[in-house]
Amino acid sequence: MKHIALPMLALLAAVSVSAADGSLQNDIYRARDRVLPALVHIQPVVKDYNTGELKKQAIVGSGVIFNKDGYVVTNYHVAGKAERIICTLGDREQVSARFIGGDPPTDLAIIKLDLSDHKGPLPVAEFGNSDSVQVGQYVLAMGSPLALSRTVSGGVISTKDRYFSQEVRLPSGEQTGNYNLWIQTDAAINPGNSGGPLVDLDGRVIGINSRAMMFANSIGYAIPVNIVKEVVHAILTEGKVTRSYIGAHYQALQEMEEYFGTDGVNGVLVSSIDAGSPAEEGLLRAGDIIQQMNGQAVSAKFVEELPAFYKKIATLPPGSVIDFRVQRGTDTLHLSVKTRLLGDLQGEDFECAGWDFTVKGITRQMQLENQLKDSLGVFVEGVKRSGAADDGGLRAGDVIVAINKQEITDLPGFVAQYHDLVQAKTQKILLGIKRGGSSRLVVLKPSANEETTLND
Amino acid sequence: MIKRSIRAILAVAVAAVLAVTPGPAARAQAQTFDFARLQSSVRDYTVVLKVKVEIAFGMQTNEQEVRLLGTVVTPEGLILFDGSTVSSEQHSSMSGASFRVTPVSIEVTTLAGRKYSAELVGVDRFTQLGFARITNAGNTRFAPVQFAMNQQFKVGSWLTAYMLLPEFVTPPVASDVGMISSLIESPEKFPLTVGFGGLEMASVLYDERLTPVGVLGTLMDPTSVSTDAGGMISGSGEGDVQLLGVVTGERIQKLVASPPRKGEDERSWLGITLQALTKDIAEFLNIGASGGIIVTDVVKGSPADKSGMKVGDVIHEINGQPVEVDMEEKVPIFQRRIAEMAPGTQVEFSVFRPHDQKVDTLRIVATLEKAPLTAANAPSYESKEFEFKVRNIVFSDYIQNNLDVGSLSGVVISDIKQSGLADVGGLEIGDIIQRIANTPVTSVEEAQAALTKIVAEKPREVVFFIWRNNKTMFVNVKTDWKMQ
Repeated sequence: MKHIALPMLALLAAVSVSAADGSLQNDIYRARDRVLPALVHIQPVVKDYNTGELKKQAIVGSGVIFNKDGYVVTNYHVAGKAERIICTLGDREQVSARFIGGDPPTDLAIIKLDLSDHKGPLPVAEFGNSDSVQVGQYVLAMGSPLALSRTVSGGVISTKDRYFSQEVRLPSGEQTGNYNLWIQTDAAINPGNSGGPLVDLDGRVIGINSRAMMFANSIGYAIPVNIVKEVVHAILTEGKVTRSYIGAHYQALQEMEEYFGTDGVNGVLVSSIDAGSPAEEGLLRAGDIIQQMNGQAVSAKFVEELPAFYKKIATLPPGSVIDFRVQRGTDTLHLSVKTRLLGDLQGEDFECAGWDFTVKGITRQMQLENQLKDSLGVFVEGVKRSGAADDGGLRAGDVIVAINKQEITDLPGFVAQYHDLVQAKTQKILLGIKRGGSSRLVVLKPSANEETTLND
Repeated sequence: MIKRSIRAILAVAVAAVLAVTPGPAARAQAQTFDFARLQSSVRDYTVVLKVKVEIAFGMQTNEQEVRLLGTVVTPEGLILFDGSTVSSEQHSSMSGASFRVTPVSIEVTTLAGRKYSAELVGVDRFTQLGFARITNAGNTRFAPVQFAMNQQFKVGSWLTAYMLLPEFVTPPVASDVGMISSLIESPEKFPLTVGFGGLEMASVLYDERLTPVGVLGTLMDPTSVSTDAGGMISGSGEGDVQLLGVVTGERIQKLVASPPRKGEDERSWLGITLQALTKDIAEFLNIGASGGIIVTDVVKGSPADKSGMKVGDVIHEINGQPVEVDMEEKVPIFQRRIAEMAPGTQVEFSVFRPHDQKVDTLRIVATLEKAPLTAANAPSYESKEFEFKVRNIVFSDYIQNNLDVGSLSGVVISDIKQSGLADVGGLEIGDIIQRIANTPVTSVEEAQAALTKIVAEKPREVVFFIWRNNKTMFVNVKTDWKMQ
């Protein structure tokens, strides 16, 4: 026994000698040199419609160049609603960039640097493999915390599969984070780090830093790079990520096995079905345990397994027919559910500067979230305080279905009416609105003295 | 409670200052009031109430004693007092009561020193006037206060009143002087007063000739009055502007004739949601009425629905009287008018029904029905074992959650004991329980039966199937039987 123990001790000694030797330090230097030059300090001016008027706000985020043509990956909440973007590169040169595409459900976006004035080769960071990361592994976070550019912080991976049960929404209103788990790190992540890379000691990007626990010490979260790679690919080839929707929600089976009599059997517990959804049409019910999907066994015993199952359905091409084998009580059933396109989560924004409120188009997902009976009309996003709409009694969340007794079916129709009435300097406008189940009338009296602009 | 005692202290302080340095007007006027006469007449009908109340915050309860001034209003011993302090509820509309004050016992002491016990009859939800009935007076007849009817109030006319002093002061009452400061019309005729800031609500007010003309009451800030679809007015919250004024003899007489009964809500409803017909909207709709009510939704199966009323209809007359609602703040006048008519009353509405080009004129007759239960009045059941309380689903639950009425069944969790079994298990106030273990529940009776069965069987865990935020889910509550 002693014979075996000794060489092991020696080996340990050798490792510790080599660490003391400075190889960990050298690894950190090497990782730094591979990614830091490709780090981008991003200064977008983002558009915010929430207060009833278009407000432009300069913010700071981070990003990383992943391709020699100048493509940069960052967060959707950094660049998704950007009007203009200024980027500072590793060599401290400033270039402008434009928004290429984004994906609110994963909070990722791609921008492209304008390299017309840029000289020399562009440093590019390499994506690693987030499936092979380990808890305790050394990592570096790079970005612009509190706008302090080219900042490197270090730590370890604290957890590689953090699950958030709480619904999280982007500032622009989209629900996000349903399709991935999170890499948690104690490398300091602060506001401004958003969109920056989390890097392993091989100098490969293993995640995009996106969230942090406020008022906590060193609890930051990165989107695993394998998710990033898929989203980047979809945006660069198709312009966006296309997802399937069936309208079923799931819950971990853990602690429910006895109730459902599924001891020893795996599956995915259906907890809720959206009204009017493909899942409802396919007769799937809350309480069903999905055991197989297209002949393949599926399971979500633990919450950490839920995002992968949501993703499994989302990645099917819209229109796919899924064959579910479900357990319902003591019965085993086969149900087919035809998926449909998930579509945009939020509609396009529009500022009615002359009337002091903002609206957006109504998507199917907004219809569902706001319990609207149909998608007709436009959704009031914000009402400017003490403005004409506020005085008239319009509220955020109202749905405008008519202007001067003319029906409004969608955003383009609304915008056309709006422009006509503003152009004609109409002093009194009657809006027909839906508020909850009520159909109300609102009279707008835009102030005659105020200059209204049409440049929106 | 704290607010009240501060007010009482302030009242004493103000009274003391007034006594030292009365203003010139007060001094001149004071001579015209015959306080000695007042003092002898109030002795007949003024009483001091000691009310033991139970104060409940969620499921935690606490007892406290409140001292109030009361006025005998009938020979049999019906007593009028400030009901807001001894019987109030503030509840989140979704879950039901979360803060509640209920009287446990009422002790009545006349100024002559005679003691009786009384029970709460009820509190009027509009004026917050409370009524209690003496239960052990035998054949004793009281000399009640006689309020003047149809009093002509004038701005600038003086009023006086009696107020309750702290217990250690003898006699326990003192007089105060105030003035009619304004005669306001909205939301209903209500003479405002000044000078009674420290006075207890429901104190009897007297004119210069010492005739009782009404009691001190508040007018809620109309802009803070929220209304629900049942045509019910819910109370004003903290921080609202309170306008003090006279609750007139006519209104009190009405209340005395049929006192509000606790637990029983005899309000009527029409079953519409509504909006004021402003001048601007009337212009757009080509309607020549100086106010009215626009019907914005009609509840299926409600009196309005049965009468043929439609969304977009404009009600401009009730029983031939104009509905002068031309701003949102006046909507409660209409709601109150409906709510205060007895269920079963036939009401004729004159209605405009605007079309694209023309406006139809219709007469619609609706038979009012008893308003649906509110969250606070709904039957409820408390489970000691699971440490939560459930109540029946009510009309407003559907409206508040933007659901079609009747589209969901279950019981609503109205209270949860902090860190109790239900709380730790992950249930929340407002959850609608649809199934307990394998038993579907649609009423508190069913929930009680299901829970009683579970308590007898003592399973290790109980799965609840609930509705929360427009989604359903399963919640596993671990039990802990040895603790009980």
